[in-house]
Amino acid sequence: MKCIITIELGTNAVRIFAFDLNGIVIGSMKGFYPTFHSQPDYSEQDPEQIFITMLYVLKNLLNEKIHPKKYKVASICFSSSMHSMLAVDKHGVPLSNAFTWADNRAKNEAKEIRGSALADAIYDSTGTPLHPMSPMLKIAWMKKNDAATFKQAGKFLSIKSYVIYQLTGEYLIDYSLACATGMLNIHKIAWEKQALDFAGITPDKLPQLVPVFASAGTLKKAYQNSLGLKEEIKILVGSSDGCMATLGAGIWNSNKATITIEDSSAVRVVGNKMLHDEKKRVFNYLITEDCFVSGGPSNSGGGIFEWFAKQFGDFTTAYDIESCMNNLLQEATKVATGSEGILFLPYLLGERAPIWNPDARAMYFGINIKHERQHFIRATIEGILYEIYSIGKMLNEHRNISSLSVNGSFATIPFCAQIISDMFNKPVDVTKNANSVSIGAFLLAATDMGIFKSLDEAASQIEVGERYSPAENNHKIYMKYFEIFESLTNKLGDEFEKIAALQ
Amino acid sequence: MLQFLYQQGAASNLNLFPHILELSAKKNASIQLQSFPEQVVEGVCIYFINEGRFEWKINEQPHVLFPGDVVLILPGQKFGNEKGILDLGCITWMQVKFQKLESGELVPGKWSGLSDHESMAVGKLLTLNSNPVLSKLNDAGRILHSIAYEIHHHELGFVTRINQMIDELLITITRQLTKQNNPPRDFPKVFMNLEASLRKDLSHQWSVEEMAAIAGMGTTLFNERVKNFTGFTPINYLINIRISEAIKLLKKKDVSITDIALDTGFYSSQHFSTTFKKLTGYTPGEFRKNNSYHE
Repeated sequence: MKCIITIELGTNAVRIFAFDLNGIVIGSMKGFYPTFHSQPDYSEQDPEQIFITMLYVLKNLLNEKIHPKKYKVASICFSSSMHSMLAVDKHGVPLSNAFTWADNRAKNEAKEIRGSALADAIYDSTGTPLHPMSPMLKIAWMKKNDAATFKQAGKFLSIKSYVIYQLTGEYLIDYSLACATGMLNIHKIAWEKQALDFAGITPDKLPQLVPVFASAGTLKKAYQNSLGLKEEIKILVGSSDGCMATLGAGIWNSNKATITIEDSSAVRVVGNKMLHDEKKRVFNYLITEDCFVSGGPSNSGGGIFEWFAKQFGDFTTAYDIESCMNNLLQEATKVATGSEGILFLPYLLGERAPIWNPDARAMYFGINIKHERQHFIRATIEGILYEIYSIGKMLNEHRNISSLSVNGSFATIPFCAQIISDMFNKPVDVTKNANSVSIGAFLLAATDMGIFKSLDEAASQIEVGERYSPAENNHKIYMKYFEIFESLTNKLGDEFEKIAALQ
Repeated sequence: MLQFLYQQGAASNLNLFPHILELSAKKNASIQLQSFPEQVVEGVCIYFINEGRFEWKINEQPHVLFPGDVVLILPGQKFGNEKGILDLGCITWMQVKFQKLESGELVPGKWSGLSDHESMAVGKLLTLNSNPVLSKLNDAGRILHSIAYEIHHHELGFVTRINQMIDELLITITRQLTKQNNPPRDFPKVFMNLEASLRKDLSHQWSVEEMAAIAGMGTTLFNERVKNFTGFTPINYLINIRISEAIKLLKKKDVSITDIALDTGFYSSQHFSTTFKKLTGYTPGEFRKNNSYHE
């Protein structure tokens, strides 16, 4: 019996799944790795620990779930979080930790380029917003602030490229993850010279560009032996977690949008051309030559609600943070739609789409003497979801979205799914599987093996779960509040900047 | 309250307790200059505030103390009042000399009834502690007063009983500080604190008991929480860190494999080699040969 293994190098952990060829999960395991914040804007991970953790989890999964049942591994498909940057010397030895997507040290470089004439030209060719998370800006930061390391660097890699290099000795990056570096010309499918010039590098400093279906090379002998895997196993370079979550949710070339809300969030659509946003707010990631995942990411999501629970939740009865959040959700359901007039702007972590303002800060607005604790709970949840709605509204300017699919731990909470449906006034399908990223990677590998003719056909295999329908009345209430939400956010630009400067 | 001051070498009733450097109770009714200057301590000092409000500088950090607070000062740390004044109020304290092992670890010493394992854990947790003030720890005050009672009354078995109570005091304080440093609602935060402690002292032979104590929980719950959060048992997670750090060192030319093994906490180069090969398929030597070095 053959099986497919997917390896997701996520933000906090590696998640490895084994599927049989029908897409049934045979086994899965995860391994945590830490993120280090040595300074406020820094967010780093140790590439060696990520590699070792991946190897350890893979070995355990193979030894416990795959080899004993005589499954034969046909292929291994990678996916990873986006925007990571790791400098290695000319022998491939890391010169420092990897900078993760959450690393904001390049904020001055971002300000500089946004104010320049280059901004439009680079957005036109790369299709990605200019933000400190972009490896292009991280490299520019290193050139300016850590010249010694910059000079010593033989390559600037993504974490996935590094892990693949360890396994096979090849420096590779797939198109979709390359888009997330902010340096890929998505029309020519080649590194964009203007972006590389800004970063201060030449194309030979970057890994080789390959399609998502490309082979990552042959597994090194030692790993074949220690893992018990055959030489002929195909290792697929694969894609990014965001693109795979979209494929795994079954959204492909339709008027459906997918909303993912975990700690942070994203709203995405898939189409055959780039969405060109005048205000440079929308990202466009290339999957294959004629297929783009476009959308907007947000810093708000379950992480914001978790913050609320930690500060204001009742831990006298709750066993842990999960049960505390469940209790809060119970209380929130008792409050009327619109929280009787409290609005929450969820910008605890600054914001990406649609306002792209790292200085944005959170607030509660409209509090009166009759408001009680439970109003704040519901307002917090509604505020997070208004923000998601504002991204959807932005995408709706480019694409007529007719229905939605939600996934991720926060969006799939029934209470939240219903609010999303009401706000958008559109039907919402809840994705059944919690692991959309891995399912997407499975579909990619299965398409590569010829099990599906195309990614379209693969995506259509995904069964949708429960459907939520909008309530017209609630929609009207939410829209009245959203108008205030939006104008507050727009009005507060100066104040955001001033308060952030004081913090 | 009875006032007294016993110091090792000066007070005969400490002759049977060479490990007690100081035991004292003081009711301070007047402010006197130079009565409480900053000074460096030799042993582990435990102060209990009975009454009053005190402003002390401990290890360069200012603290305000209230009744019920316990202050823990470690060997080599400086503490006192910046102006040299002892505020009005009532305090009890004890200073215990700890034994320094060859490995550099601090343990209570031979007088203690704690097992070797427990001694190491207590020493480790006390030295790792970064917040010297434990609030609302009236149990510690009670134990200190009982120790004073025993030392004044010399009843049958008082030597054993006093030593037992010092153990009890150390356990009470260690438990409280792990509890205080680890809010139960935020396991990821607790885990990251533990993670940082492990990395700071990777060559130490960490036991699960020590790790669980840093996290402020029993070993069963700790094992379950760690497995749930990281996907690994605590020991296997630790092996992850050890191997990752070893890989970095192997990629540098100048460190010998034996040194790498010991620095990253393996018992021996043999143990390192076996563990490394099982995971990566390479022996450390082969891995080093296959991976080019920094220039």
